[in-house]
Formats: sequence, C-alpha cells, structure tokens
Amino acid sequence: MAAYTPDRRQILAALAASATTPFAASSGFAQAPSFSGRKLVSSGFGGSTMDIIQSAIFTPFDKQSGAASTQVPMQSAAALARMKAEAGNPQIDMFQFSGGQEAYAKEEGLTQPLTGVSRLGKIPAGLKDPDGQWVTWAVIAEGIVYRKDKIATPPTSYKDFLKPEYRGHVAFPTITNGYGMDFLVMLAKAFGGGEDNIEPGFTAMKQIKSETIFKAASDLPTLFGQGDIWIMPYDTGNTFKIQQSGLPVAFATPQEGSPAVFITACIAKGAKNADVANAAIDAMLKPEAQIEIARTMRWTASNPETKLPADLAGEVPAVDKLAQLDRGKINAMRAAWTDRWNREIAR
Amino acid sequence: MTAERQGAGARRQAALVPILLFAPCVLVYAIFFIWPQASLLAISASSKSGPGLDQYARFFGDSYYWEILGRTLGMGITVTVITLVLGLPTAYVLARSQSRWAGLLLLLTTFPLLVSAVVRSFGWMVLFFRDGLVSRTLLALGLIDRPVQTMYTMTGVIIALAQVLLPLMVLTLHGVFKSIDRDLEYAAMSLGARPAVALGLVTLRLARGGIVAGSLLVFSLAISAFATPSLVGGARANVMATAIYEQTVELLDWPFGAALAAILLVVVLGLSLAYGALIEGRGELEAPR
Repeated sequence: MAAYTPDRRQILAALAASATTPFAASSGFAQAPSFSGRKLVSSGFGGSTMDIIQSAIFTPFDKQSGAASTQVPMQSAAALARMKAEAGNPQIDMFQFSGGQEAYAKEEGLTQPLTGVSRLGKIPAGLKDPDGQWVTWAVIAEGIVYRKDKIATPPTSYKDFLKPEYRGHVAFPTITNGYGMDFLVMLAKAFGGGEDNIEPGFTAMKQIKSETIFKAASDLPTLFGQGDIWIMPYDTGNTFKIQQSGLPVAFATPQEGSPAVFITACIAKGAKNADVANAAIDAMLKPEAQIEIARTMRWTASNPETKLPADLAGEVPAVDKLAQLDRGKINAMRAAWTDRWNREIAR
Repeated sequence: MTAERQGAGARRQAALVPILLFAPCVLVYAIFFIWPQASLLAISASSKSGPGLDQYARFFGDSYYWEILGRTLGMGITVTVITLVLGLPTAYVLARSQSRWAGLLLLLTTFPLLVSAVVRSFGWMVLFFRDGLVSRTLLALGLIDRPVQTMYTMTGVIIALAQVLLPLMVLTLHGVFKSIDRDLEYAAMSLGARPAVALGLVTLRLARGGIVAGSLLVFSLAISAFATPSLVGGARANVMATAIYEQTVELLDWPFGAALAAILLVVVLGLSLAYGALIEGRGELEAPR
C-alpha cells in the first residue's frame, strides 16, 4: 500500500504543474520553460567577446531558466569544421557563426529548424533563413578604422586605402579572416566591380600588397598602438575595444556602404539539448539583451523592436542602414578567390 | 613424450612474451595513428568525380604548392642547423662540466618547453613588432637606421622555432655526450691526437647517433609546427601546416588537405631515412675494424 504513495504524489504534482502552466505562460515574466539541471553547450567566439555574450545573454538566461550554459571558444571556421566532424552525434548543441557558415551548415544538413523561438517572426526576412534553420541575432558593421591623430579628414571611401600619403601605414586582414574577404569585395565594388566581377578588387589590392597583412583581431591593438598603422578595414566592435584601451581611433562608414557581418545562431541536428538551445536563441532576440550587446560591444541589434537609448544610437548603425553583400555568391567563390589571393597578394 | 610436449609449450609461451609486450603499444598506435592515417589517405584519394589521384595531380602540377613545400623544408633545415650549431657546444660543455650548477643550467635550457606554443608566439610578437624590443635594441646599437619589423616574416618564424626546439637538441645531445667515456678522448690524445682532433675523431663520431636523433626530432617538429608560423609568420609565411589548416578548416576541402598531409608525411619520412642513412652509413664505412 505504502509503495503506491509516491505515485499518487507524482500524479498530484503533475496535476498541479498542468494547472499552473497556462497561468505561467500568460503571466509573462515566467514564460521561459524550466530547464533546471539541464545543460547547454554553445560554440563561442572566445576572448572578451565570449565573456560579454556570456554575461549579457547566457547568464540572465540561465538565471531565468535554470539551465547551465557554457560556450566553447572556437572561431567560426573551426566551429563549422567541428560541426561537420560531429555530424549525427553533436557534442555542441548550438553554434554561433560570424562568417556566413550557417548557410553552408544548412546546405550540408547539419542544422535543424528553430521550433521554439517565439521572436523569430519579429526578425526581418533578410536576417534569417527562409526555412527557419538559423537566425541573425546581432549584426556587426564593417568600415574604415583610422587613427584620428594621423588622419585629419575622416576617410570616406574604400578608394582611400590606395592614397599615396597612406603608403606604409595601411594594414588589412588576410582573406581567411572574413573581413579580408569583404575588403576584397568592397574594393571591387568601389572600382566598378562586385561579387560578380572581382577583378577590380584584385587590381586595387595588388597596389597595397606590400602593406601590413595580419591574421587575427588580436594583432589590432599592437598595430594601432605602435603608431605606424593609420588605417585599416575593420568593424565598430573592435574600434570600440581599441578606443577603450585609450588609443585615438575612430570608425568611418564608407560611401560604398558598410558591409554587415551577421552574427547567427543555429542548432546542430540531433543536438541533445535542442529545446534549451531554442529558448536560449529566443533570449538572444530579446530587446533587453540586444541593447546590452549594443552597449557593451557596439553590435547592431537585429530585432527591429529594439529601441536603443539616444547615446548608443549614434554609435551603432541601425540594421537597415547597412549594405549587405551577396554571401551566397561569395561563399561559392571563396575557395577560388582564396587561392588567387594566396598567389597574387600574399606572395 | 609428455616432457617434450611441455617443453614445446614453454617455448611457445616464451615466444608469446615479446608479442604480449608489444601488443599494448601496437594496439594504441593502430587505433590512434595507423587507422587515422589510413583514413586520411583514403580521403586524399577522393575527389568530386570519384576516387582518383586528382588531389596529388593538383599539388604536383602547380608551382605554387612546390613553393610552399620548398619553403617548409627550407624552414625545417634552417631551424635544424641553427639548433645544431647552438646546441652542440652547449650540450658538450654541460655534459663535461664538473660544476654543481650544470644540472641547474640544463634545467634552465628546458624552460621554453614549459610554455605553450601560443603564449610563446605572443611573446615573440611583442619582441618582433616594429616598436618591439628587437627593433629598438638594434636601433640603439646603431646596427640599423630605421625600425625593422621581424613580425610577419619567415625570419621571425625561424628565430621563434629555433628558440623552442633548441632544448630538445640540447637534451638529446647532452644524454649522448654524458654516455661517452671521457677516457676515449684521453686515449686519443695520449696517442698523439690534438684535443680538437680527438674531439672530432672520437667524441663527435661517437655522438653521431645523438646528432641524427636530435636533428630529426627538431626537423620533424619544425616542419609540422602550426602555431608559430601562423601567429608570427602571418599570411606571407605560408607553410605546409598552415596550408593544411586553411584547406581543412577554412575552405573545407578535406581531400586536398589530406593530400597535403600525406605528401608532407612521405617527404619527411624519405628525408629522415636518407639523412639517417647518410650519417650512420658513412660512419660505418669509415669505422676502423
């Protein structure tokens, strides 16, 4: 007889839970399902970026949902390789990409539809997958970063990189850095080409091929700090970081437009904690979280309902003000252009 | 009859012993080395049009990849020569020293090994940038008249690699020099050889094995190094390891990446065997009977 008691208790508990669920869902503040005792493993971008995302997004999410989220640092390309290697048995539930890798991941069947992201409908069509396999949760504006003390008139165009007075003071990232690829495409656009005609880009870049070429954003503070680098193509987020370290740098939006980098999130097919990942991605799209990301990193919000405070709005370009590159075309040409870049620019 | 059978059984058991002793090591290598290498070869023999040697044709038909291979081997040989030139006298002096500080000095030479390759590379970056210590020191000494940047150059990669691989050379040679009986040198000198001749004819010849081992160790680690060429060398110091990374991780062209890895392995294996045969073989021919 006593053996049945726990069962009855469980039934009662279940009844109580089902009775409170509609109330919780309608009450607003407790809408996130409880994931207490559950884990979420996401790829992260490493360094301070990862720490900021952790405290702006995952820590509040964990607090509200009871889950324990961790980010594993890896750059986007490495993350995609990991996703591919672990296909079918993913050890990482959720992936964050910054280089357009989500499209490839979807094409290869490595992702699954976002089924529990209630704010997905708020995100503009260009910023998410039409089949709902990935969503952009933040956007980084690229443009021209320059030393205010060395360059008096703010640069206005990608053509400015070829100015003779900047010779010996230009730096740009390698093509595998992502921004290096966008720089090539924007140079092509500035000189009458584009994704379909990359030739002008290579012609222009050949003129500055003997300038400093770097691989990672970690070199940026040193390059600007030692004084002989005045101008390079990079983004708002890193400009902000370098400003915080006390260097006189500024960001300029080129007249050709600021290429936008989509910071996307997607869920690995077969992920053990797909439900937690869905809720976490929903939390990323919350206006509060997006304001926090804009405040701490100067990344542009992807949810148009996000209303930035006036002081921030001036520093972070709005999402509809950004130029968008045809990532599909670029991805299709990536291998060929990388090969050509290695031969013609890095040699 | 029974005794004979028992004897045969014991012999069989005795024959089993080396197999059993080898088994764990062979098993570990089979699972973690031979199997992955075999799958790598299998991947490298595939292409969009089906199985074939397209990837290898692409490599050998393109002077650009020959250049990368040549740069890699040149880097490995330069680093090996530098570590040998610096490590040989250091190891000899440390091995022959009667000082009680010798042990501590040997320990000190191994310190670079205790720091991760990435951290060490960042250290070199601080030194190698245009306003870094290297440039400033050379300027102050009047050796150069304008700041020089060693960062993003092959020179920087070679210096950084030689620094980290030097301890391996010193440790290998130190052990060998220690094991050479000093009396052999004295014997040579008592028979009329000048110290330099005794050193060359006796000590260095006996240390041949150690020189081969140290060189091969340094060479193979240098040409497969990734972090240092990538961080210090940047885009212009493209070597096999960084090319493999680019193909597999950034361009997701696994077949070509696997082919690069296989080519590197075969070239290293061939060079190592040739080098070993050259030094060991010549020694045998000249060795007094």
